[in-house]
Amino acid sequence: MANTEKPIIKRSSSKPVQSVVQIKPALVIVGNGMATGRLLDEIIKRTPNKYQITVISKEHFGSYNRIMLSAVLAGEATIDSIMQKPPAWYKAHHINFLSGGVVSYINKEKKYVDLASGVQIDYDELIIATGSRTAKIPAKNQNITGIFNFRNIADTEKIQAFTKQKSISKKQAVVIGGGLLGLEAAYGLALSGVEVTLVHRNKWLLNRQLDKVAGVMLQTIMEQKNINFVLGHEVAAFESNIDKSVTPNNKKTEILSGVTLTNGAFICAQMAVIATGITPNKELAQTSNIEVNRAILVNDYMQTSEPSISALGECCQHKGATFGLVDPIWAQCITLAERLCNSLEKPFYNAPVATKLKVSGVQLFSAGNVEVSEDSQCFTLLDKKALIYRKIIVKNGKISGVVLFGDVSSGMAYFDLMQQATTVTPMLPELLIGEEFVSLSDDEKQVSIA
Amino acid sequence: MTDIIFTDKQPSALNNQLTTNKTNCPYCGVGCGIEATVENNKVIAVKGNKLHPANLGRLCVKGSSLHETQGVKNRILSPRIDGEAVSWDQATSKIAKHFQETIAQYGPDSVAFYLSGQLLTEDYYVANKLMKGFIGSANVDTNSRLCMASASTAHKRAFGEDIVAGCYDDLSAAEAIFIIGANPAYAHPIVYQRMIKAREENPTRKIVVIDPRKTASAKDADLYLAIKPGSDAYFYNGLLMYLAEQGHLNNDYIAKHCQGFEQTLQTAQSQFADISAVAKACDIELSLLLESYQIFAETDKVVTFFSQGINQSSSGVDKGNAIINCHLATGKIGREGAAAFSITGQPNAMGGREVGGLSTQLAAHLHFENPNEIDLVKRFWQAPNIATKQGLKAVDLFDAVDSGKIKAIWIMATNPVVSMPNANLVKRALKKCPMVVVSECYENTDTVAYADVVLPASTWGEKHGSVTNSDRTISVHKSMLKAPGEARHDWQIITDVAHKLGFKSAFNYQHPVDIFKEHAALSGFENSHPYADKRAKHDVYRVFDISALANISQADYENFIPTKWPINQANPNGVKRLFTDGVFATKNQKANFIPIIAQLPKILPSSTQVVMNSGRIRDQWHTMTRTGRVAKLMTHSNEPYIAVNPEDAQRFKLADKQLAILTNLDAEYIGRVNITDEQRVGEIFVPIHWNDNFSASARASALVNPITDDICGQPEFKHSPVNLKPFNTIWSGYLVSSQAVNCSTQYWSKIQLEQGHKYLLSDQQALAEDETFLANLYPQITDWIVLKDHQKNVLRIAGFIDNQLHCFFAASTDLSLKFNSRYIEDQLNKTLPIKTRFKLMSGIDSDGKGDVGDMICSCFQVGEKTIQAAIKSGDCKSVNSLGEKLKCGTNCGSCIPELKTYLLNG
Repeated sequence: MANTEKPIIKRSSSKPVQSVVQIKPALVIVGNGMATGRLLDEIIKRTPNKYQITVISKEHFGSYNRIMLSAVLAGEATIDSIMQKPPAWYKAHHINFLSGGVVSYINKEKKYVDLASGVQIDYDELIIATGSRTAKIPAKNQNITGIFNFRNIADTEKIQAFTKQKSISKKQAVVIGGGLLGLEAAYGLALSGVEVTLVHRNKWLLNRQLDKVAGVMLQTIMEQKNINFVLGHEVAAFESNIDKSVTPNNKKTEILSGVTLTNGAFICAQMAVIATGITPNKELAQTSNIEVNRAILVNDYMQTSEPSISALGECCQHKGATFGLVDPIWAQCITLAERLCNSLEKPFYNAPVATKLKVSGVQLFSAGNVEVSEDSQCFTLLDKKALIYRKIIVKNGKISGVVLFGDVSSGMAYFDLMQQATTVTPMLPELLIGEEFVSLSDDEKQVSIA
Repeated sequence: MTDIIFTDKQPSALNNQLTTNKTNCPYCGVGCGIEATVENNKVIAVKGNKLHPANLGRLCVKGSSLHETQGVKNRILSPRIDGEAVSWDQATSKIAKHFQETIAQYGPDSVAFYLSGQLLTEDYYVANKLMKGFIGSANVDTNSRLCMASASTAHKRAFGEDIVAGCYDDLSAAEAIFIIGANPAYAHPIVYQRMIKAREENPTRKIVVIDPRKTASAKDADLYLAIKPGSDAYFYNGLLMYLAEQGHLNNDYIAKHCQGFEQTLQTAQSQFADISAVAKACDIELSLLLESYQIFAETDKVVTFFSQGINQSSSGVDKGNAIINCHLATGKIGREGAAAFSITGQPNAMGGREVGGLSTQLAAHLHFENPNEIDLVKRFWQAPNIATKQGLKAVDLFDAVDSGKIKAIWIMATNPVVSMPNANLVKRALKKCPMVVVSECYENTDTVAYADVVLPASTWGEKHGSVTNSDRTISVHKSMLKAPGEARHDWQIITDVAHKLGFKSAFNYQHPVDIFKEHAALSGFENSHPYADKRAKHDVYRVFDISALANISQADYENFIPTKWPINQANPNGVKRLFTDGVFATKNQKANFIPIIAQLPKILPSSTQVVMNSGRIRDQWHTMTRTGRVAKLMTHSNEPYIAVNPEDAQRFKLADKQLAILTNLDAEYIGRVNITDEQRVGEIFVPIHWNDNFSASARASALVNPITDDICGQPEFKHSPVNLKPFNTIWSGYLVSSQAVNCSTQYWSKIQLEQGHKYLLSDQQALAEDETFLANLYPQITDWIVLKDHQKNVLRIAGFIDNQLHCFFAASTDLSLKFNSRYIEDQLNKTLPIKTRFKLMSGIDSDGKGDVGDMICSCFQVGEKTIQAAIKSGDCKSVNSLGEKLKCGTNCGSCIPELKTYLLNG
């Protein structure tokens, strides 16, 4: 089959020409995050030879498990161990892997993309998987040395380098954002011996996934892991020192000395990690006149406003929702692969997602809507001493939300019951304690349960 | 067969330093002999005494749990005045001074003693002597008034003396037993087992049960007659008519040994035209009635076995005599297997009657009606101040306390705030009374709460003295244990007070044997048989004579072999059966027929009321001060209930297992509805045991009208018209706790567990929001697990101390749920793994095991589900095979009627 492979045709931007012999349609993927990694797997699984695939990656690495970056930071994993598709993999699968490539424009009419390097690449099917970036925060003085994001290997390496600096005797860090990412970053830093303070705008941690009770318990556990918390406030400004020791070219370098909060308090820190959330990378689509809103709009089949251009992952928006967790993105990959490989229209369904925190020693599970509304019923179990909390919210007799903390047993059973919209009212409150307690017959229940 | 020894110790612990003591059971009137094994001042095991004629080695579940009732927990340990601990000297001085002053100012009838069938004969004797001989009042009555006054008076009217002529062997020898107004399967299990065994050995023997309630005894009867409540005298008067009509009279016996027959028969006949009118009055089918009459008439050896259903009536004396009339008319008396057998409720009700412990008696079967008898006692006691007239009977006595006529009362070994009719009046009366002395062994009885002076008394195992059971057998309780704290014997306490009242020489007792000898001497004092001794004073002759024991040595007393009185020169080894020669204790030695006009209860229900019947349940005793401490005795019936016929349930809109409330007088009773066809329509049954220490509102006696028998003063406990309605609550649940707590819910009921207590709870107020209410009950607990729903439909809370489960509360607004907390009870006081302990909130083991259902066999703790499973498996097709497999029913046998029901229903 080697003869079917033709090198892609590179042209100058000034005179684009059609490819002469295109035996296989060209599938071009912009971005090489986890979504792309999974999509490649799904395509190869189905039709390994249907497309000539090109992956354009900003990063020089292959594909890696970004979720594990916090484990790398915590020293619980290495970069090698989280690498899923090294460059050699692409070669082995006859995929063109363009590392360090940045796409600047899509020509929808002529179906090619412009790279910043000036190269043009034709496509028959284009997939935008540009992912997201750390959301901006409204704080002042963000151009100071010592402020990091926590999105990729490069960020992780920078942070690690900082924690390993011998010149600073007492290392202090501020992590901004009490979501999953911020907590994982804070945990990783604390494990490396850094004195960490996490600043979170909301009154409790993981406020999108947890209610206040669970949020406070999480805080208690994280405090035991040497993380300090300032909740209900934001960073107003980053403060700096002039570092006199490092003045090449006599240029003064501003180095972070701490942050001032909206309440006026000052926290001393040599490093700040911003983990306040993500902003979808929709700009490429936007410039190329593809419809966007908060992110790139896609239909149930992951198509953008331009039928030959698809989008998936954190950069896309489906029925108003954007994405940050892997589960729905895996589903998007399957929908897209089915369409591209098998021409099957298998609509993407944005199913509720269960959240788990990747901090060792913390058992946490959250699914559905954790807010209690007036028309819902809420069952809770709280063991303050053991730091165990379980909550099931029921709406119209069906589970609409679950929070488990400290013990996540039966979490998947609840998740299934929620997905299947099973009427659970007769199973409560036993179900809340564990699925094993509802397997009894009605007769046994009658005599056993008060 | 090997001995069944009841113990909670491992056999290996049963080593040396043990003593075995022969004693008696302190519960019912059967008076079983017990061998108790004592180690370190604690009874660690009990078994039936094979040599005791009452039980021949068997024990019921209550008796076989006796060792579990012990312990210093809840015992009163020192005397108290107004709640302050004082010395014995201070306490007895206070009592003596107050009684003396009251008597000086208001006369001897301004003071009273209220005694108990739980007291030993010696205690009784000293109290009676002090009040009637030295204080000079006959205001000494006893809770036997609530139990035996009717039978006692009926005996006296018919035989000239309060005598039970037969004995327990007659129950084995009878060819037919008529059980009327008694449920021996529950209340007197050991004699009931005798009847059943005799029938098994000879199936031609018949058991006929006559009872408005289909009791466990009724279920196992050959013939059961559900008569209208209170129509017992109709039944026996009708029987007398039938016997006369059908030619079954023993005319020879009547002529030779009886008097008053013609008038008695005429009186019976005057009330009813014929037997079918009797059937109508008793509200039963004529054929059933005739069948039972035929059994009585055509069977040579018949025993009528009667108890509280006859006695606790406004015409209880007449009912007793109506029964005796039929036995006299057929000569079915004074012979093996033929008797009108009254069984007492209490272990020493008869002993109390022997010393004259009722206000209507003087002493030693001597009475106030005859001045010669008063003179005899006065001379024997050398009593300066002997009472010359009857004192007040229980109901009148507490009325007199209420009205202020009685200003000082001493209550010993009984709990009248729970047990008396109109018990709220008793509460009120005691509250007002200037001096209430209570001798009691347990704290927190409802009556102790009203005492000005509390005296710690010794109890079973500690006490030393004699009792007389229902068949005249005198036995001696042996002291085996040292009483805890400063507790003393009742006779000692009374003696001390007598000394301080200035009667030292007349109360010079060092040992109970001193009292017993005096009692025996009094029984024989100037008591010669009119035929044997020409100089005998006929009018003071009494059959009760134990003068052969008047010089008994202490050693012989302590090792006394149970013997039936009389025990005198003529009969040094006692007498098994009396009146065998047809010679009675009347002046002319003829038995009296008593003409009876049968009467129904005095107060009949209105159209919106039901009739409340009350009685004992199988595993409890009286007001539960002792049995309520034993976990396994709580497993058969664990909360106050109201048994209701299905028709009434519909009429009063009651669902099974819901709560209902009964009201009468100013009292209420809240209990769980038990819908059953064991009740007749319009009639309900409630247990008498529960009280303020065990439930929110379940003192059944408080609803009983203070209506008494005109002759003997016994209250009509078995027939109280009351109002019945549902007690609708919002939620119900339970609390399992390793400590006792004070519940404040509108309904609560306490159940003793091995490991602590369980409370059943229900309320008309909404369920609590969180654990705050429990935190108030358990200030020492800070470690809680809470399961709830935000709409307050479900709440479960577990409280821990040092990671051990200390309390567990579970409640739901779904009132249909039952409250089996066996799994939780097993976890109580256990250290649970912190990470998984929350699973406890399910209330069940994750594999759902451990639920054996309602407890049926209390002795061996065999549950309903286990029994049903054994029957279902086909392994067990008979009571015997169930016993072989599960052991149920093989000890006291009181669950056998229930086992039969399960076998019948598959």
